[in-house]
Amino acid sequence: MESDELFINMGPVHPSTHGVARFKLRMDGESIKECTPVIGYLHRGTEKIGEMKTYLQFIPYTDRLDYIAAFPNNYAYVKAVEELAGIEVPLRAEYIRVLTMELNRIVNHIVSIGSLLMDLGAATMIMWGFRERENALQLFEMLCGARMTFNYIKPGGVREDIPDGFIPKLNEFIKDMEKRIVDYEQLINGNEIFHMRMKNIGVISGKDAVNYGWTGPTLRGSGVDYDLRKYEPYSIYPDLDFKVCVRKEGDSYARFIVRMDEMKESLHILRQVVDNMPATKLISMAEYGISPMTGTPTAVSTYFPRIFTPPAGEVYSRIEAPKGELGFYVVSDGTTKPYRVKIRSPSFCNLTAIPSLVKGLKIGDLIAAFGTIDVVLGDVDR
Amino acid sequence: MTWISKDWAMGGIIKGLIVTLKHVFRVGNRPTVTVQYPYEKMPVHPRFRGLHAIDEDACIGCGICEVNCPNSTITIVKHNTRWYPQVNMGMCLFCGICVDVCPMNAMKMTGNYELADYSRESLIYGPDRLLFKKEVN
Amino acid sequence: MLFLAMWTGDIMFENTYELIVFILNFIGIYDPIYNVFEMFGLEYLLRIIIVLAEIAALFVFILLTVMFLTWMERKVVAMVQARYGPMVTGPRGLLQPVMDGVKLIGKEDIIPAKADRWVFTLAPFLIFIPALLVFIPLPFGESLIISDLNVGLLYIIAISAISPIAILMAGWASNNKYSLMGAIRAVAQDISYTIPLALAAISVVLLTGSLSTVDIVTAQSGTWFGFIPKWFIFLQPLGFILFLIASIAEMGRIPFDFQESESELVAGFFTEYSGMKFAMFFLAEYAHLFSVSAIVVTLFLGGWSVPFLSSIPATFAVLIPIISLAAFVIKTYVIIFFAMWLRDTVPRMRIDQLLNIGWKIMIPLALLNLLATAILLTAGVF
Repeated sequence: MESDELFINMGPVHPSTHGVARFKLRMDGESIKECTPVIGYLHRGTEKIGEMKTYLQFIPYTDRLDYIAAFPNNYAYVKAVEELAGIEVPLRAEYIRVLTMELNRIVNHIVSIGSLLMDLGAATMIMWGFRERENALQLFEMLCGARMTFNYIKPGGVREDIPDGFIPKLNEFIKDMEKRIVDYEQLINGNEIFHMRMKNIGVISGKDAVNYGWTGPTLRGSGVDYDLRKYEPYSIYPDLDFKVCVRKEGDSYARFIVRMDEMKESLHILRQVVDNMPATKLISMAEYGISPMTGTPTAVSTYFPRIFTPPAGEVYSRIEAPKGELGFYVVSDGTTKPYRVKIRSPSFCNLTAIPSLVKGLKIGDLIAAFGTIDVVLGDVDR
Repeated sequence: MTWISKDWAMGGIIKGLIVTLKHVFRVGNRPTVTVQYPYEKMPVHPRFRGLHAIDEDACIGCGICEVNCPNSTITIVKHNTRWYPQVNMGMCLFCGICVDVCPMNAMKMTGNYELADYSRESLIYGPDRLLFKKEVN
Repeated sequence: MLFLAMWTGDIMFENTYELIVFILNFIGIYDPIYNVFEMFGLEYLLRIIIVLAEIAALFVFILLTVMFLTWMERKVVAMVQARYGPMVTGPRGLLQPVMDGVKLIGKEDIIPAKADRWVFTLAPFLIFIPALLVFIPLPFGESLIISDLNVGLLYIIAISAISPIAILMAGWASNNKYSLMGAIRAVAQDISYTIPLALAAISVVLLTGSLSTVDIVTAQSGTWFGFIPKWFIFLQPLGFILFLIASIAEMGRIPFDFQESESELVAGFFTEYSGMKFAMFFLAEYAHLFSVSAIVVTLFLGGWSVPFLSSIPATFAVLIPIISLAAFVIKTYVIIFFAMWLRDTVPRMRIDQLLNIGWKIMIPLALLNLLATAILLTAGVF
């Protein structure tokens, strides 16, 4: 049967493009014949900003990359700087960093699952998710004074030690969250309509996923057992007991389930972190007798000198962010500012697979597939 | 008939309906959590990074905060006889670096987050609106 | 005494007109009024005035119901999602719909430059008026019916079949691809779900042998064995489920809300509408919700009949018309609550899955149900 093609421009202002993603769709009725993502509506030149600011000043800008989960961004950049300058970090600071990052992983997956369900039309999940996210954000606020843009992790430690009363609240959150996850599972996991929408939709094989440069939960949904926390361990992850959640199917449902399981694993990690955290409080540099203005970074500090020149060199450091592998490539020329900063953001690499993922599917499946890839446009456009 | 997988009894949907009904009747620790914002406010934690405040006696107007601000938010202006920072809240990142670098610990960040205003000019907070006097006991 | 006589069946009214005439007579003012009109030879005018008053009363009732429903919808959603919902305007936000209406009236009425102006303007009226017309043969209570048509059910199904035309007009005239796709989806959905709807209704008609809604309700009064109400839901469980699913699809609510499908098509066929025209779509949607629920109640849940009322002492029989109205409204609100509750739980289907279910499951099952009913009826089981 002959029929005309329909061109639809979806976005950048559209309810379900998670910000400002834009898709140029060539449609045959309801089926997608070709999908071209267009990015760049949120481009802020973060990498160039990195060259203009000192090492310390650039940290708040990394918060604005993946604003749903900003602690891993902080950490990835700081890790690169620490490797560049050879700074040692006190153990307690590492524990605090892992604590914040795993808490942030839970927040990220809540938002991801919630917005996926909202795109599918079930608005309840995102509201329930935001209820728990609010508790986590309260913890962040208690810890570092900000709810989303933290600027907390600094080279050589963290900005401030954890305040009194934080650990009991965290334990309360973990306990509460365990119950809520049961609610989520009852609401979504068995839902037949959800199965119809998610199973065998947007299938990608492990090989293709690797070729597209996928990382994170999206890749693990395709049966590839790849997690930097396990296979290129950093920070205190070697000491922690957790398993990598992998599903074989490679469809939207698998990616969703991997996120659900990872939330439980993160809770497990959080419990271990709370139990094993060293008791000695972190000392600020002022207390140690070094001026925060000129001193050299030491292994006991929570403060960092504002003027700081690492030796010339280059380093690429990567971590497992909630959305995938987040890498910072930092080149130093021995001055106070980096010579070059390159960001390998997981959202961008994961987004590239969309055209082949949704080819031949319906317009509703594009929403579902896009939701399971879990993209934040601040991270894509940088 | 391959497009429908299984479960014609719709067991999963019924399970979901039960969970949502539990929320409707607030059964088992599922309370209303939102607050009626303009009338009641969430408590702000002590470390909250909101509007700046500058200790009138401690600040020496050295300009270190001005140099270190990533977004060039702060400028040092003359206020009465001394020099104090002026903060453009429209550009502020609320990163707290100015607080960290202040050699005199004069810069603070308060819990005031209600900074919306009608014009860009009124977002520039001069020393007259930022200064506070530390109570000496 | 007269009300008692009315209940016991000595005096029965065919419709509200006769009830009003009777009450006016009873108070003793009908004759003087009639004489005044007769003096000018305008007897028919009196009849017209009374009927118009009835219709005005119905119109006001529907508008108030619709406003209440919008409030209720938001409150139910809020309760499920652990929120308060509207709280500011009026007690517990009860006046929120009024404020929404005021806001919408105050908005600019935008007609897109390339829209078909006449069709664009006509569509909201064409969808709003049938939504009200459906109520004419609906019995709200004992004697509370505008007109007891002997083809009442057929009339209802025919009138509700007008709305796809209006939706198609709106979608086409907007000159917007999203609107057009929403309209096409809505029409496909309405057509495929009107068939099982009508087939399930025909099974009920087989049981009563009449298309008149009053006859259908009367056939459901009384009880079996003194405790099971004689509702058709017990004779037609499959028919009830099919009818309920099909009517939720007719209403266009969440598991089947393809005419709107917010996250895919922005707002479906009324993407381009604003101000009062948008409000009319909105009102029609909720009037539709109420009317469809009322039809479900009339066909399967005994309409206004109250099962155990015959055991009430005769001295309270005066209250019976009011009780019947209350029973009807309560039953209708139970169905409406179910629709809202379902909306908060399940995600949206995909359009092809929806059509598959409509044609491949609902219609065969409805036909089977019809066949089984006919066989059992012939065998004399019912």
